Amino acid sequence: MKKFLSLVKLLFVQQYRTKPTEGKKRRGGTIATYIILAVCFTPMLISIAIAMYGVGKISQGLEGGGTNICAMLIFISQGAVLLFGIPTLISNVFTVKDADKLLFLPIRSSTIFAAKLTVAYLNEVITTAVMLVFMLLPFGIGYSAPIGFYFLLLLALVLIPMLPMLLGSIIAVPMSALITKIGKNGVVKTILQVLMFAIIMGAYMFAMYEFGFIGGSEEGDPTDMAQMLLDKLQGMGTMMKYVHSNYTLASAMLGSAFSVVIVNLLISVAENALLVALVIAMSLPFYHWMLTTSVEGAGGRSRRKAAKVTLEVKNKGVVKELIFTDLKRVMRESQMGFQCIMSLIMLPLMVVVFYFCFNISGEGDQSIVEMFKGQALYQGIAPIIFLSYMSLLGMTSNVLGIYPISRENKAIYLVKSLPVSFNKYLLAKVILATAVMVISDFVMCVLIVALFGVKWYFGLAMWFAMAALGFGGMCITTLIDLKSPKLGWTNFNQSLKNAKNSWMALLVAFVVSLVLGTISGVCLLGWYLTNTSWYMLLIMWVLIIGASVGFAAVSYKIMTKNAQRHFDNIEP
Amino acid sequence: MIRLTNVSKTYAKSTVKAVEDLTLEIKDGEIFGFLGPNGAGKSTTIKMITGILSPDSGVIEVDGINIAENPIAAKSLIGFVPDNHETYETLKGIEYLNFIGTMYNIPSELLKQRVSEYAEMFGLTDALPNMISSYSHGMKQKLMVIAALIHEPKVWILDEPLTGLDPQSAFQLKQLMRKHAEQGNTVFFSSHVIDVVEKVCDRIGIINHGKLVTVDTLDNIRQDENVSLESLFLTITADGTDSVK
Repeated sequence: MKKFLSLVKLLFVQQYRTKPTEGKKRRGGTIATYIILAVCFTPMLISIAIAMYGVGKISQGLEGGGTNICAMLIFISQGAVLLFGIPTLISNVFTVKDADKLLFLPIRSSTIFAAKLTVAYLNEVITTAVMLVFMLLPFGIGYSAPIGFYFLLLLALVLIPMLPMLLGSIIAVPMSALITKIGKNGVVKTILQVLMFAIIMGAYMFAMYEFGFIGGSEEGDPTDMAQMLLDKLQGMGTMMKYVHSNYTLASAMLGSAFSVVIVNLLISVAENALLVALVIAMSLPFYHWMLTTSVEGAGGRSRRKAAKVTLEVKNKGVVKELIFTDLKRVMRESQMGFQCIMSLIMLPLMVVVFYFCFNISGEGDQSIVEMFKGQALYQGIAPIIFLSYMSLLGMTSNVLGIYPISRENKAIYLVKSLPVSFNKYLLAKVILATAVMVISDFVMCVLIVALFGVKWYFGLAMWFAMAALGFGGMCITTLIDLKSPKLGWTNFNQSLKNAKNSWMALLVAFVVSLVLGTISGVCLLGWYLTNTSWYMLLIMWVLIIGASVGFAAVSYKIMTKNAQRHFDNIEP
Repeated sequence: MIRLTNVSKTYAKSTVKAVEDLTLEIKDGEIFGFLGPNGAGKSTTIKMITGILSPDSGVIEVDGINIAENPIAAKSLIGFVPDNHETYETLKGIEYLNFIGTMYNIPSELLKQRVSEYAEMFGLTDALPNMISSYSHGMKQKLMVIAALIHEPKVWILDEPLTGLDPQSAFQLKQLMRKHAEQGNTVFFSSHVIDVVEKVCDRIGIINHGKLVTVDTLDNIRQDENVSLESLFLTITADGTDSVK
């Protein structure tokens, strides 16, 4: 047990640690970032909590009480836990990269497995805690839940991650096996991971659709929003009986009679224990198989003599070589490749999701999209909203632009020893990050034109502006990363967890959106006052594209002016 | 030629001087061995010569070029083998050499010829199409050595270059070092293997606690021929005996 606990502590602490010490100045910066983040995200979290409080209030009027709704909220929480937990589950439990570091120790392999599974579980508990505080707790207050509800929240914290652990294992085991069988090709690994993610998201969307969260028609009186919401919740909640472990847990939490609480609690604990048993039964033999494959297969491929070795050597030019080498490295490193492809497909996917969400219509009624399309101001306003929103998301989600230096990791010394101008090196980084964004932006603009009926020339203007904004944004985020890169990680996701870069990128993107909003706001006002004259829109787009190109030029200048100083300060 | 004049370095996160007032000159046609215990300042010195770290004070010149003033020209004269093997693991060996060749502006045909020559010499030809992550420690070391030699640099800087090499490759490398020096170039290498330093180097320098303790030919350092370099090294680097010579 002592060995197990020591291992859990070691693995758990290790994943949050990249550097042993941080200077006071840096700590101050990190604290300031967290304060800014708290200020930015508090309204959103408070909004969720208020909404959940409202759901609790409404649920009082539901037939059968709020048990179904509570079970539904537990299910939604489990969706978030699954989403955030699955990468940890894969990297901690089903990727046996540290076999050589642990196997020689006098510890049984099953103990190592148990420790790794526990660490994955603890990570899921952290996500669960956030979900409980902002979803279930306000729901309980709104619902005027009995006192037992609040005590049982602690038990819920322990039980809720069980189902995501099982679902995660069901997904991860065959996927990891497939990847191991296919070989060590990083690109194939990345594509498989993206496919896996797409399957999970698809299944989740399908479940949401089936449970009535999205799509479908409204049969109630559309003017009576409360009734409509009540009906919707009732419908969704009924489905939750099929996720029985959640339903019994919710019944125990909201039960008023002691016997009801105890019986449901025992059933829920037993059901969750069964889930744990299933996780272990499924994962342990697989872990042992992965361990054997990892140890016995090591070096096999390298020792195999190639039938015919053809060495293709070509000098492509420095910037081109830097770009393609960087791209290869990103795509072949499974975590980075996954993040990169996700940032490429995620935004276009969101446009499609938005379309489906806004395309809901009642029988014989117009959908929201159709209703908007008919408005005189639509062609002026819609592209601006899309541009601001997509630029904001694009800049903050592009992992190539946010962590260009951190991803060099311990090989940063190599970059510093090469006889290449550092500005050339940075330019290659920014071009690569922007190229990924430009492709994604193009697909997005085509989708916006096709689905939302935005005129093609506005789509084109959006694309130009997005490309320039993307380039400028990447210059700034590159400089931010250069200033305090997270080097020395053993697992790219560790770098993502610890770095504040994405939050800084969010702030930059937010400011850019604000400027765009101001420019377009003034122009749209002029457009409205001049009876929607086309030339006002022309002026607006010229100004927006001009401002975007100006932003790109200024950002590039700032980056190149300050980069060398920060680069020299990096001490590998 | 490598010249360091009053070079000092303190890391940002430390108050201790990693290298203090180091003055050293390595001449053309010389193999120079750099010795010192762990944490003495060997790697810091090498990192400063190769432009990876900037010194707090002092001047470093490579073949007469000040690396702080003209880093690209100075770096293009250096071939560097690091002591760790942290490299682009997700590249294939051949892709890595192609990358390095392009960074040093070697024309394609010449690059191809040198890759074939060195890969054959170190027995790495068959492994080059494989990912570096699948290489053993020794294979990575060979790749690093080939990458350092591929642009035929005027100055070789090798940090523990023989670690992990098989006897044949170690022999090849030592021969190459000698040949390179005989052609009027400079070889600067650090090692913990005192026997190798003793056999290969024309001059040696010993660093301890960031200060250069001694620098001279082996014969001059070892005035008494019965004393081995190993015992001299242990005596010189013992705590409190920084200024033996």
